[in-house]
Amino acid sequence: MQMIKNFFKTFLLLELLKGMSVTGRYMFKRHITVEYPDERTPQSFRFRGLHAQRRYANGEERCIGCKLCEAVCPALAIKIEIAEREDGTRRTTQYDIDLTKCIFCGFCEESCPVDAIVETRVFEYHGEKRGDLYYTKPMLLANGDKHEEQIAKDRAADAKYR
Amino acid sequence: MINIEIDGKLIETGRGSTIMDAARKAGIHIPHFCYHKKLSISANCRMCLIEVEKAPKPLPACATPAAEGMKVHTHSALAVKAQQGVMEFLLINHPLDCPICDQGGECQLQDVAMGYGATASRYNEEKRIVMHKEIGALISTKEMSRCIQCTRCVRFGQEIAGMMELGMAFRGEHAEIMSFVNSSVDSELSGNMIDLCPVGALTSKPFRYTARNWELSRRKSVSPHDGLGSNLAVQVKNNKVMRVTPIENEAINECWISDKDRFSYEGLNSPERLTKPMIKQDGKWLEVEWQAALEYVANGLRQIANGAGAEQIAALATPHSTLEELYLLQKLVRGIGSGNVDFRLRQSDFSSDGKQQGAPWLGMPVAEINSRDRLLIVGSFLRKDHPLLAQRVRQAVKSGAQANIVHSSDDELLMPVANNAIVAPDNLVNMLAQILKALAAEKQAKPDASVQGIEAGSVATAIAKSLASGERAAVLLGNFAQQHPQAAQLAALAERIAALCGAKFGFLGEAANSVGGYLAAAVPFGGSVQGMNAAKMLAIPRKVYLLLNVEPELDMQNPQQAMTAMHAADMVVALSAYKHHASEYADVLLPIAPFTETSGTFVNTEGLAQSFKGAVKPLGEARPAWKVLRVLGNLMNLAGFDYDSSEAVRDEVLGGVDIAQRLNNTLQSVSIPNPQSSILSGLQRVANVPVYSADAVVRRAVSLQKTHDAATPCVTLHSSELKKLGVQPGDTVKVSQDNASVNLTVQADDRQPAGTARVAAGQAATSGLGAMFGTITVERT
Repeated sequence: MQMIKNFFKTFLLLELLKGMSVTGRYMFKRHITVEYPDERTPQSFRFRGLHAQRRYANGEERCIGCKLCEAVCPALAIKIEIAEREDGTRRTTQYDIDLTKCIFCGFCEESCPVDAIVETRVFEYHGEKRGDLYYTKPMLLANGDKHEEQIAKDRAADAKYR
Repeated sequence: MINIEIDGKLIETGRGSTIMDAARKAGIHIPHFCYHKKLSISANCRMCLIEVEKAPKPLPACATPAAEGMKVHTHSALAVKAQQGVMEFLLINHPLDCPICDQGGECQLQDVAMGYGATASRYNEEKRIVMHKEIGALISTKEMSRCIQCTRCVRFGQEIAGMMELGMAFRGEHAEIMSFVNSSVDSELSGNMIDLCPVGALTSKPFRYTARNWELSRRKSVSPHDGLGSNLAVQVKNNKVMRVTPIENEAINECWISDKDRFSYEGLNSPERLTKPMIKQDGKWLEVEWQAALEYVANGLRQIANGAGAEQIAALATPHSTLEELYLLQKLVRGIGSGNVDFRLRQSDFSSDGKQQGAPWLGMPVAEINSRDRLLIVGSFLRKDHPLLAQRVRQAVKSGAQANIVHSSDDELLMPVANNAIVAPDNLVNMLAQILKALAAEKQAKPDASVQGIEAGSVATAIAKSLASGERAAVLLGNFAQQHPQAAQLAALAERIAALCGAKFGFLGEAANSVGGYLAAAVPFGGSVQGMNAAKMLAIPRKVYLLLNVEPELDMQNPQQAMTAMHAADMVVALSAYKHHASEYADVLLPIAPFTETSGTFVNTEGLAQSFKGAVKPLGEARPAWKVLRVLGNLMNLAGFDYDSSEAVRDEVLGGVDIAQRLNNTLQSVSIPNPQSSILSGLQRVANVPVYSADAVVRRAVSLQKTHDAATPCVTLHSSELKKLGVQPGDTVKVSQDNASVNLTVQADDRQPAGTARVAAGQAATSGLGAMFGTITVERT
């Protein structure tokens, strides 16, 4: 019986038709492929991308150099040096994140008491040579300045869950 | 002994002890803020509330005496509710600024809040704000809003430092810790308030915002400053000393350290640090490699030794050097054939050399000072020279001891002094002779032959009476007495006084290794080759001077003479951690490592040898001095210079030696020629070494140099002398000694004996003057 079945299957190409029918079905379905970079997937407001340092509305940097992010960082990617600024406030003199070490766990922004270090939605960045992904304080602050609007929106959206 | 039960654990505790004491003994933790084992009980933080069965309300463990059969619960529902309530109250006004607080991470309030506090506060009103105060260069009070009014700092000032410099003003919510109007906290122990503060209200100013405590690694070390040998925790980050805190050692420093020990680390990171060996060629300093520098030195030494003779080589070391350094220095110099080596730089009377039966020491363990009931302290700026020993004396006085002082300066000791004999320096011997005479009469013993013709005055009789009435007396000689031109006589008289009243007799060691220097044989006598002492080496100038961390213009008894000798020498080799004035007269500068960068041993004033390891790597090309001296020994082809470690050197010095056997204050055959009063005419100089000018490291500690104790020296006279001169306090006068003069501000102090002028030594402003003792003239400008 099985032998007869197989005999007919061989020259009637039943499997092919079966397969083609799947292909045919998908041909008329809605596509789920995202054509990056023309199209983009939706992002959560908790997306953990490129880091940024934020400022207050008056232009003052938020970071107070408490070093909690440095302490919590599991990849030891953050390096901070602090000193007292002339006005007596506690500020960082050096704030570096080595993005080649970073594992984007988000602990740094989680630990930050003043929402200074954040991870933005930006994930399109690259470095062309060794060291390009070593982000220093001015670079991080520039990131923050550039994306502040989005960052603020995301923090606001997340606020009720925190 | 009574039995109580805490959390179901049966505990035996002493009668009169509190529940807190019993719980601590049993290892049961009761949260607390205001309680501190060394301070009196104030019971004002209420954090230690616990439940005692049959008591209607929760009771504070720190202030409740334990009673027989008491049943205590530290974690019952009632206790926990009380503790949580207190915590909530404490946090009402405590700012939530832990992220920027230097105390964050080592904060008792933070810890206890984690363990006993609620997760959120029900208090939404505005928190109170306490304005910050300026209380000096060491303690930062920028955030007094953090204060929880535990009053530990206030009690520390009153009870330990002896001076209430901080107090609590106002009441209730307005209560504030503050100093007296416009005054700073000047205690030489003030830094301990930073440790005591359970929150971040009092923090260290030099350390402020430089590191978080979890980044620091703590390395054990020993203080290189005074003779006590306090145990230090040197806290290091990135190979740099960030701060220094005490390590508790009940037998030595208890849980305190002096400000000198605490803040002098700033000197270790000073920009003046020497980091490369340097040689002077044709008047210009060249940076060279170690090999070249050491060969240059070895050649120089060899040439002099073969030409002018080895006795032309002289070596001076500070008593702040380690045992190993001192030992290798003397071994090197003696290997070359010279016995001219000394570490007693500020001493002027060496007549007891060879007569002293061993290394002069405290005569008893440090901790025994607390239990003395009669004290005679001769010639000591006790508070400034030995801050923590002074604290122990203060505790002894507090528990009923009588302190008797014989000195040339009536500095405030911050304790009740039974009898105060303040006389001019040349009268010190006479005063001790009077005391000896009076004491003999008191004890109905035959007076010593040397004091036959002496008439005991009223003060001397009072001191003798005081000494005779005690059971556990001690006679201690301070730095001033040891530096005195008649030091041997003072020591001999003091020894006889001590013998007559059965007292312990001791020397307060000036520096970290004042005892160790003798054990290392870094003295001109006693070794294989005899030589000249520190004073003689300068009085009869030598051709070569080896200086081990010595700044002759600041460290010597007679800076003027020292500088003349340095300038006249053919070769001066300065082993120094700092670029200092040596560049003017030295030929070779060899960078050596200060105590945090080398391993070594200090033998403290009670004869306890404490070894320590380097906490950080030497800065630049600086090297531990013992290594430098070892290689110099090799280059000179001397035998026995192949040590692998400083421990090997230490074992050679101390191995198999019972240090206790080597300590002996007994003086033999020191004659006391009829001790007359007032020998000198004119003004006599009384020179103290200001506390923050005593050694090379502390002189470069920036913050300490901003304190009142480091102020530019002035000349202090009795007001009758001022009248004679016709000047007002605050005027500038010309102070001359040994053909040199400086202009100093004049101050009046009627507690200064007439006929004396107090001019500090060890500071740049007075370094041009002559010896620390002797006559000095003060004129109007």
